[in-house]
Amino acid sequence: MTDETQIAAAPPRDKQREARAIALGVAGWLVPGLGHALQKMWGRALAFLLIVGVLVFVGAGMRGNLFTSESGDAFAALGYLADLGTGSFYWLAKYIEVGGPDVSHAYGDYGTRFLAAAGVLNLLAALHAYEAARGRKA
Amino acid sequence: MKFHLSHLQAMLLFALLVSIAFGFLSRRRPLDRAKYIAWSLLLFLLFGIGIGWAMYPFSR
Repeated sequence: MTDETQIAAAPPRDKQREARAIALGVAGWLVPGLGHALQKMWGRALAFLLIVGVLVFVGAGMRGNLFTSESGDAFAALGYLADLGTGSFYWLAKYIEVGGPDVSHAYGDYGTRFLAAAGVLNLLAALHAYEAARGRKA
Repeated sequence: MKFHLSHLQAMLLFALLVSIAFGFLSRRRPLDRAKYIAWSLLLFLLFGIGIGWAMYPFSR
């Protein structure tokens, strides 16, 4: 039996599980901690919600640079991807940061790092929720 | 809403939050998790302050 035949013969239950895992990963990305909360991992859910929330709140409060899709260069595009990692909190940061970014001061520059770190940590958390839903020991 | 954190305050907050996130991502048992968070925080601070001092001679 070839590998192709084995893949084609995968039971529908595995496909359902994979689809559920992807949905939980996306949920975790959109709302930090939701992917874990839906799997009743309450401690992790609360921890990621608070950590990403505090990083976004403080980062935006420090007037960090929240990148947009119209940024232009490659570094800005990477920054935009990192910021998008916060999911729905990206818009929360925009709402908090009404005065716009100010990286002329050190704290503004730190704010940019806080926002990017929040996004990357949330992506890691969403990936963790996906792996946990697939049954990987996490 | 404005936060004006000093260099040290920003580093401490960043190190603490990222260490907790790493602990929750990589360890299951609470005791292992607490040890991992403490160790990660200590290394963050040691490296942060160490790199700060290493750059000091070139700062002026």
